[in-house]
Amino acid sequence: MATSVPAPLEISEEFLAPVSSEELPEQVTLWQDAWRRLTRNHLAVVGLVIIGIFLLTAIVSFVWTPYPTWRQALGPTYQGPTLAHPLGLDDYGRDILSRVMGGAAIALSVGVGASLVASAIGIVLGLLAGFYRGKIDVVISTLINISYGVPDLLIALILVVLIGRGIQNIILAIAITAWLGMARLVRGQTLSLREREFVEAARSIGTSNTKIMSRHIFPNALGPIVVQATYLVPAAIIFEAFLSLLGLGVPPPSPSWGGMASEGYKALQIAPHIVLMPCLALSLTVLAFNWVGDGLRDAIDPRMRR
Amino acid sequence: MSRGTLIYAAQRLVLITFTAIAVSSIVFIGIHQLPGTALASERRNNPASEAALLHRYHLDLPWTQQYVIWISGLVHGDLGESMVYQGTQITPLLLREVKVSLTLGLAAVLVTVVFGMSLGVLAAIRQNTWVDYVASTTAVVGYSVPSFVWAFLLILLTVSGFYAWTGGTIYEDIGWGKPEQIPVPALALGLPYAAIVARLTRASMLEVIRQDYIRTAWAKGLSSRVVVLRHALRNALIPVLTILGPLITGIITGSVVIEFLFGIPGLGKEFVTSILSRDYNVVIGVFTFYAALVGLANLAVDLLYPVLDPRIRY
Amino acid sequence: MTRGSKFRSLAVAVSALWLVTACGGGGTSSEALASDQTLRFGLANDMTSLDPAQVDSAVDITFISELFTGLYKFDTKLNIVPDGTTGMPDVSTDGLSYTFHLRHDMQFSNGDKITSKDWVWSWTRTVRLNGSYAGNLAPIKGSADVAAGTATTISGLTAPDDYTLKADLTAPAGYWLSMLAMPTATEVLDQKVIDAAGDLHWTEKVDSYIGSGPFKMTARTPNASMDFEPVKSWWGGDTGKLTKVHVDIGIDDVSRVKKFESQGYEMVGMANNGPGPDDVLRYKNDPVKGKLLTVYTGARSTAVGFLMTSGPFAQKAGTKPGDPTTNPDDPGLDGRRAFSMAIDRVQLADIACAHAITCQPATGGPVPKGFRGYLGDNGDPYAKFDAKAAKDLYTKWDPTGSKVKGMSYRYNTSAGNDKRAQNLVAQWKANLGVDVKLAPSDFPTLQRDRRTKTIVIGRQSWGIDYDHPQDWFGNLFSCAQAPIGRGNDEGYCNPAMDALTNASDAKPIDAAMPDYLKAMKMLVDDQVWMTIDYGTQPYMVQSYVKGAGYNGLYDFPWEGIRLLQHS
Repeated sequence: MATSVPAPLEISEEFLAPVSSEELPEQVTLWQDAWRRLTRNHLAVVGLVIIGIFLLTAIVSFVWTPYPTWRQALGPTYQGPTLAHPLGLDDYGRDILSRVMGGAAIALSVGVGASLVASAIGIVLGLLAGFYRGKIDVVISTLINISYGVPDLLIALILVVLIGRGIQNIILAIAITAWLGMARLVRGQTLSLREREFVEAARSIGTSNTKIMSRHIFPNALGPIVVQATYLVPAAIIFEAFLSLLGLGVPPPSPSWGGMASEGYKALQIAPHIVLMPCLALSLTVLAFNWVGDGLRDAIDPRMRR
Repeated sequence: MSRGTLIYAAQRLVLITFTAIAVSSIVFIGIHQLPGTALASERRNNPASEAALLHRYHLDLPWTQQYVIWISGLVHGDLGESMVYQGTQITPLLLREVKVSLTLGLAAVLVTVVFGMSLGVLAAIRQNTWVDYVASTTAVVGYSVPSFVWAFLLILLTVSGFYAWTGGTIYEDIGWGKPEQIPVPALALGLPYAAIVARLTRASMLEVIRQDYIRTAWAKGLSSRVVVLRHALRNALIPVLTILGPLITGIITGSVVIEFLFGIPGLGKEFVTSILSRDYNVVIGVFTFYAALVGLANLAVDLLYPVLDPRIRY
Repeated sequence: MTRGSKFRSLAVAVSALWLVTACGGGGTSSEALASDQTLRFGLANDMTSLDPAQVDSAVDITFISELFTGLYKFDTKLNIVPDGTTGMPDVSTDGLSYTFHLRHDMQFSNGDKITSKDWVWSWTRTVRLNGSYAGNLAPIKGSADVAAGTATTISGLTAPDDYTLKADLTAPAGYWLSMLAMPTATEVLDQKVIDAAGDLHWTEKVDSYIGSGPFKMTARTPNASMDFEPVKSWWGGDTGKLTKVHVDIGIDDVSRVKKFESQGYEMVGMANNGPGPDDVLRYKNDPVKGKLLTVYTGARSTAVGFLMTSGPFAQKAGTKPGDPTTNPDDPGLDGRRAFSMAIDRVQLADIACAHAITCQPATGGPVPKGFRGYLGDNGDPYAKFDAKAAKDLYTKWDPTGSKVKGMSYRYNTSAGNDKRAQNLVAQWKANLGVDVKLAPSDFPTLQRDRRTKTIVIGRQSWGIDYDHPQDWFGNLFSCAQAPIGRGNDEGYCNPAMDALTNASDAKPIDAAMPDYLKAMKMLVDDQVWMTIDYGTQPYMVQSYVKGAGYNGLYDFPWEGIRLLQHS
C-alpha cells in the first residue's frame, strides 16, 4: 500500500545485511540492543505510550463505556461537548466518548489483524519465492509487478462488495491487498540471505529446506519484517477509514472511527465535533504507530550502532 | 530522445495495453459471477419487461459470449452503455471524467513535489536545528493524518472559515468548475505524500551534502553554494523519482475518496457511485481506464530518468 | 479601521456590485419581470430514462411532464383536467367503454400534426415495451396479448376518426382516469422520428428527442447538464415567462443548497431533488432564510413490513405465497403489534428527519395524511408509543427470546434509510431488549430478495402515483400480488379484504371510499405494515421566483414560473 509506508524505499544495502554475533563487542543480543535504543528514542516512547492508552481503552470498552455505544436519543442530537457528555452527542444523540472508545477496539482489531494476516501470507510466500526461485518466484514477482499497476483501494472496494461487509471480511480484504508488499520485502531478504555462508553450512550438514528457511533465514530477516508489520497497522486503519467513508467499511451500528467521520460529514459545518473527535483519535493512533515504526527501524539499523 | 528510449517506450506501451486488457478482463469475469444486477427498480416490473431490459444489455447471454462482445467493443474503444442511466455511452462519459481527475491529480502531484521538496531541502540545510525538528515532525504528522482528515480541516477552514469571515464572497462552495476550486482538494490529496517526499528529500540531500567534494565547494563561497545546492538538488530528485510511481498510484487511490467528499465529477467518484449502484459496465470501464492510466504514469516517470541522469539510458 | 474590517467592507461592496449586475437591473423588488428568465437547479443523478414508455423514477417524471402530452393531467390542486383532449371522456354506463375527443390543433415540436393514430401507435408501443408503467394501459382489452407478444395491435383500442379515440376495457376501472393523468407511459410520441432514429436510441440526440409538451430539450451532456427551452407557438397556449431551464447533474444535496445561497440556483426541490435535512434544519431556525423554505406534505410512506407466510411473524406459517394467510390463531400477531408499539415515532422522525422536518411521524395507517385512504390522526392504534405495553406483549409472545434470535432488518442504503434503520434497531433494543441486526444492501438486491418472499422484517415504502386507494391495494396488498415475483412482499392474502376492494374498484371514488377505509382498517389491525413516517417535500425558492411549488405528487409546471426583478 502506498498510503503511508515509506520504509521499504529507505532501507539501504548495508541494512539488509544480517548480523552475526561476532560483530557485537558486548554480550548483548540484537534484540536487547534494539530495545535499548528504542527506549532512548523519545518519539517512539511517546508513541508506545499512546498505543498503550488506546489499547487499554479498547480492552475496557469491551466491558464498560460511559453509555452504551448504540443507545440513541441520550440528549438533543448534534449537541456539543458538555459535562455529561465530554465529547458531545452525534447526529443520533449517541455519546461520542463511548463510541470513540468502542472505535479504538475496532481500529486496533482491524489494524493488527490485517497486519498479522498480510504478514503471515507475505512471509510464507516471500520465503518460498526467494528461496526456491523458479516458477513460484515468477508467479509471485508478476503479481507484485501487476499490483504496482492497480490502485489497491479499487481492488479492496470490489472485494468488499463481493464478500460483504463485516469486520472479518474487511480484515481479509485489506490483507489481500497488503501481503504483496511484505512478500516483496521478504523475497528480497531471502534472495540475499540464501547466499550466505551459514546457509551453505546448514545445507552441507543436510538440514531440510524448511528448517533452513524457518531457522536460519527467517530469524535474520525478522528485523525489517517487524518494522514493515508495524507500518502495516496504521496503513490498515487508514484503509478501513477510507472504506467507511465510501460506505463500505465495518457496518453500523459499530462505532468505527471512519464510520463516525463518514456519518458526521454531512453536519460538518453545524457540528464539527462529530467528525473531528474520531479523526483526532485516528490521527493520534496512526502517528503513534508511525513513531514506533520509525523508532524500530532506527533501532535495528546497524549503521547507527555505537 | 534516443532510439533506445523510443524502443523502450514502445515496448512499455505494448505491455501497458496488455496489462490494461488483462486487468479489466479479470474484473469483467469476476463481476459477472456476482448475483443481482442494476436493473431492478421500485415498480413491480413484470417478467416480460425485465427480459427486455436484460436483452438490451446482453445479460441474457452466457458470460463467455458477453465477454466476446465486450472485448470486440473494447478494441474499438467502445466500453458499452451504462446499465443505470439508459442511453449514456460510457467511453465519452469516462473521457470527460478522466480530464477532471487528471487536472486534480496533476495539481496534487505539484503540491506533493513542490511542498515536499521545499520542506525536505529546508530541513536538510538546517539539519539538527529547530527548523529541522519542526519540519521533520510536521512531515510525520503530515502523512499520519489521512487525506480525508486534511480535507475536513481544509473544508472547515475555507467554507466555514473564509466564507463566514468574508461575508460570503470567498470560497462558497466545494465542487468543480471554477479554477479556485482546485487548490483545496489538491492540497488535501497531496499533503500526506508531500510529507513522505519531504522525508525522502531530506535524507537524500543529507547524503549528498555530506560528501567531501560538496563540503569543499561549500567552504569556497556563495556562488559555489548555489551551484552546490543545484547539484545536490538534482541528485536528490532521483530518489523522489523512484517514489513517484507508487506516489501516483497512491494519489489515484486517495482521489477516489477526495473526489467523493468534494463532489468532484472525476473517475474516482464515478467508480464509487457505479459500484454502489451496481452499474457493472461502468465499473469495468473505470477499471480499464485506471489500469491504463497507472501504466502510462509509470512510463512517464521512467522516461524522466534519462533527463535527470544522463548516465541512465534505455 | 483594522485590516480585517477593511477587507470585509471591500468584500461586501464587491459582492453587492456583483449581485446587482447579475440580476440585470437595479431598483427594489417589484412585480416587474427580470430580464433574465432562466430557471436553474441541480440534480444528484442523471435521468435513468428519457423515454416515456420506460420512465421509472420521480426525478424523470418531472421532465417528461414538461416535454410530452397525455390525454389528461393533474392541475396544481391534483384535479384531473384535459390535456390532449377537449373534455372529460364519454364513459358507457357499464363502465367498459371510454370515448376520448382529441384536440384538433396538437402538433409535435417539429411541426408534425397529432391525430388519433399517433395515440394508438404510442400506446401500443408502450405496452409492447413492457416498461414500469405499462400497467397503466393494462385495463384495455387486448393489451395483455401485446404485452405477451402474441398480438401486434391492442384489440380494444380503436380510432373511429382522426380526432376520436375509443378504448374498451376488460372490467370497469374507476381509477383508470387517474392512471391516464400520470405523466408517464401514456404520452403521445412521434412515430416518424422514433422509427427513423431507432426505438432504443431516439432519446440520445436532441434532434430526435421530440415531444408535444410546452418545452423541448435543446442541449444535453450525459451526467453533466441538460437545457430546455419553451416551444414557439405551442398549440396548448402560453408557455409562460421562462426563456430557458438549465439543469446541472451530479450536484449533491449540500452543494445544491450552497449554489442556491450564492444565487446560482433559483430553487432547490424540483424533480425530487430537495435540500438535505441538515440544511432544512438550518433554514427553519433562521428568521430570514425561513421565508424561503416551504415544507409540503409528500406522497410517500415508509414502513416496516412483516412476512406473513413464514418466520416468527407469520400469520399462517408454511403457506405458499399466494394462498390465503388469514388465520384466527395468527401466531405472529402479538409480535407484530409489540414491535410496532415499541417504536416512538416522534423520536424516530426527530432523529431521522432533521427534527421531523423531512418526514412526519405516521399515526394514521399506510396512506399518508392528506390523501384518500388516510385513517385520520392516531387512526392506527398500534402506532401509539407504549414501551411498557409493548414489552409486556412481547414477553408474552416470546418468553425465551427464541423467536427473534438472529433476526435482521433488511433495507436499502440511503441517508434517510440508514438513519431510520439505526433508530429502529436502537429502540427495539432499548424498549424490548431485542437485538435486531442491520442488513443493508443496495436497492436492486433488496428488490430481488423482496420478490422471493423471504424477508422476515424489512423496510417498506410506497410513493403514491395518484390519489386513489386502488394504487395501494392493487399493487401492495392483494392476493393477486402475493405470489413469488409480484408486488406484495409480505405475502399477505386476505380474501375478505380483496372482495371489498375489488368491488370498490368498480365504483366511482366517493361511493367507494367507506369500503376502502374498512379494508385499510383490516390491514392496520393485522399490522401487515408497521407504518413509521410520512415523507415531506421541502422546497427552497428564491424570494424573487414566483409560481414554483409542489402539489403533493408533482411539481408545479414550468409554464407558471417567473422570475421577478431583484437586487
